[in-house]
Amino acid sequence: MTTMENEASNGHMKRRREASENAAGGSDAIRLRRKRRFRQNVPWLIMFLPVVAFFLIFKYAPMVGLVIAFKQYTFFDGVWGSEWVGLDNFRLLFLDPAAYRTIRNTLLLSVLGITITFPFPIMLAILFNEVRQMLFKRTVQTLLYLPHFLSWVVVGGLVVTLFSEDGGVLNHLLERFTGDTYPFLYKEGSWIAIFVGSGIWKSAGFGAIIYLAALTTIDPSLYEAAAMDGASKWRKIWHITLPGIRPTIVLMMILSVGNVLEVGFDQIYNLQNAVVSNVSEVISTYIFRVGLQGAQFSLTTAMGLFESLVGLVLVLAMNAVARRFKQGLW
Amino acid sequence: MRDSPGEKLFYACNYAVLTVLALTCLLPLLNIAALSLSDSTAVLSGKVSVYPIGLTWKSYATLLEASDIVRAFANSVVLTVVGVALCLLFTLLAAYPLSRRGFYARRPATLAIVFTMLFSGGLIPTYLVVNGLGLVDSYGAIWLPGLISVYNMLIMKTHFENMPDELEEAARIDGAGEWTFITRVVLPLSLPMLATIGLFYGVAFWNAFMNVLIYINDPMKYNLMVLVQNMIRSQSMLQSLNNLQPEDLLLVTPAGVKSAGMMVLIVPLLAVYPFLQKYFVKGAMIGAIKG
Repeated sequence: MTTMENEASNGHMKRRREASENAAGGSDAIRLRRKRRFRQNVPWLIMFLPVVAFFLIFKYAPMVGLVIAFKQYTFFDGVWGSEWVGLDNFRLLFLDPAAYRTIRNTLLLSVLGITITFPFPIMLAILFNEVRQMLFKRTVQTLLYLPHFLSWVVVGGLVVTLFSEDGGVLNHLLERFTGDTYPFLYKEGSWIAIFVGSGIWKSAGFGAIIYLAALTTIDPSLYEAAAMDGASKWRKIWHITLPGIRPTIVLMMILSVGNVLEVGFDQIYNLQNAVVSNVSEVISTYIFRVGLQGAQFSLTTAMGLFESLVGLVLVLAMNAVARRFKQGLW
Repeated sequence: MRDSPGEKLFYACNYAVLTVLALTCLLPLLNIAALSLSDSTAVLSGKVSVYPIGLTWKSYATLLEASDIVRAFANSVVLTVVGVALCLLFTLLAAYPLSRRGFYARRPATLAIVFTMLFSGGLIPTYLVVNGLGLVDSYGAIWLPGLISVYNMLIMKTHFENMPDELEEAARIDGAGEWTFITRVVLPLSLPMLATIGLFYGVAFWNAFMNVLIYINDPMKYNLMVLVQNMIRSQSMLQSLNNLQPEDLLLVTPAGVKSAGMMVLIVPLLAVYPFLQKYFVKGAMIGAIKG
């Protein structure tokens, strides 16, 4: 018997069985089905038990632990024994110039990072797409995907070798041509440029993959028709390629907005230095320094809660907007 | 079809731009490699660009003798290998039941899990939990809080959901129980997907930095990332290396040794990069299509 016949007869038998069950009708069949479903569920429930434990202990227990944002936490009293202080921690946070500066920096760096970085993967995907020589394409892609896999420790090291004032490659060149060096890492403007630039360098190539996948769904006959009408390369990109990947662009935009208060710890920690701390101290490093190293658990938990809530609200809001355009995530 | 002059110009520009961009990725790495292999006078004179001058292994020798890099390397390997195994197991334990249509907890559990993507307790409360469990200064603190990445779990769940029902029917008819079905049918058919997710986890564990910084205080347990980062940051790096002879200091430079340290981070990644590229690209595509 061929597979197809096999399936057909299986389906047939199943239908007949169901029919007879229905005919026998009533509670017996239902009880039998429930019993069968329970027996089916037993191994799944056993598998799932450690998973439930994991999420309760490491994801939901910390959410409960957020109550210390409204307490004066001490190690001695623990989470439950510590004294309630209401919104004192938040008041302290928003009145403290250092904490205020931290929030401002986080917003500034991430908004700059997101807006400037965003178009690069799209442009790269379009450039990749226009390469006709496969060997060249593969070589370039291999090289441009590589930085994604490097840790920020390596990228931080590369930045120092490139930009430092003593022995940095760029300053060597500058000195040769102008006779002067420039402290790129110690000036706020150039440090921010390095911060944003290194983010682009690390993520743009790999980010292009998603748009490349979207590009493959564009109907090639559109390009042929445009060529017949004498459209130039630029017009084809503007009128066919970009509209073709618009849904993906919107999706990526929603996803990035949720991260507005998140500047990755590894990135900032590996790039920052004391001289530019005025612009480089962000929420994650503040929590690390003041919270963990300075043992101000309650204050920094309040900061963390603020960050999480803003992120949640932004994602929900962006999704609501996107749903209007039938592009919602859920 | 012949290219018009405009198109010829476009393609020329495209190739030129891409070549320049590719070089910005290649040259800094070549520079680091060259610095790590050059002798100290060449490094100090600043003449080293993308190939070594006065080829020497002295920087690497110094690193091996005078720092804890061998131990840190072993630590990184242990962290990565055990971490990947644990994460794959737990992700599987979550993804498989959630992919079964008859599973009681399917909808509520999926919602509860996805919610943790949108909102989390944050660094300090998580630290307090890990500390309360007595995991600080052990690798349990690195492995356990990240056992399941929700994103990877959703990829795996979608993959299981897309497996044809006939497979299960056929296995049942042949008398396979749930365990036999998973180990003999589901897993062998999921190898490329498991490899993809394993690599996702593997790169994350190899590059683990923040968690090691937070949870590991004992320098003997540092992984490569934290060790090399300390080295790169340190102003008096060579002086702080133990049992280094004064005459050695003339033969190596801080820049050379730091570069050698960075190469130790990069080279293992380059070694697996062909696999990474193959599977990662596929994985990113799955993510893209499923949103």
